[in-house]
Amino acid sequence: MKNVSVRAAMARGAGFFGFWLVLIGTDPVDGVAGLFAAAAATGASLRLLPPGGGRLRYAVLARLALRFGQESIMGGVDVARRVLSVRLPLRPGFLVYPVRLPPGPACNTFGALTSVLPGTLPAGVDDHGALLYHCLDVEQPVAAQLAIDEGLLIRALGGTHDDT
Amino acid sequence: MSLVLDIFTIVAVSAGAFFFLAGTVGLLRFPDTLTRLHALTKADNLGLGLVVMGLLPQAEWPFDSIKLIAIWLFALLAGATVGQLMARAARREQTTP
Repeated sequence: MKNVSVRAAMARGAGFFGFWLVLIGTDPVDGVAGLFAAAAATGASLRLLPPGGGRLRYAVLARLALRFGQESIMGGVDVARRVLSVRLPLRPGFLVYPVRLPPGPACNTFGALTSVLPGTLPAGVDDHGALLYHCLDVEQPVAAQLAIDEGLLIRALGGTHDDT
Repeated sequence: MSLVLDIFTIVAVSAGAFFFLAGTVGLLRFPDTLTRLHALTKADNLGLGLVVMGLLPQAEWPFDSIKLIAIWLFALLAGATVGQLMARAARREQTTP
């Protein structure tokens, strides 16, 4: 187990330092500061997001990213259309979505991902742990879209789920 | 080729500016905090994405391009996180007046 966390720390540290080099450049004097920054970032990341046992499925992750891009475009176009319409077509309301992901980083990721969906905005959890979404138009098929996203995320995180 | 890229830049950045404008109009026209958050998070996310995409052909590969994409990803992350927190606070305020 300890071996895994050392490897994870090395990989994350190298990633952060590489990102620093991209942002700041390869001057050796800056590199010293970069080493400190990368070490601090690695410490924070290991503390906030400990390395888990599950393996990411990159093919599913790529599909999720593609869908995320499509949803961002649809979400932006949808809101622009409503904003610029003279009648201001809004039917706002809340939707309760009983989330299957466990509370924690996975569930937070789901909230962040779905905040770009057309017409939805995660607005916390209710007393039973279900996610609450504020919808611009409660007649849109929001819950079905959320279920597709959640299925993809569960599979991308290495879980088994028969949904596609 | 560079003319095509320049036209692409102009079209994409203009489209991005349009969505920023739409987001701001939403901030003014939508009736309450929650609906306004919708307008800002979604329209600005797409607007910034289009601006970044439009600037990519003009940026130096790889460093400047990666920086641009990083700016977009960080703004996306910050928007998604802060948007959720504000929505949560606004909902609480609505239910307990």
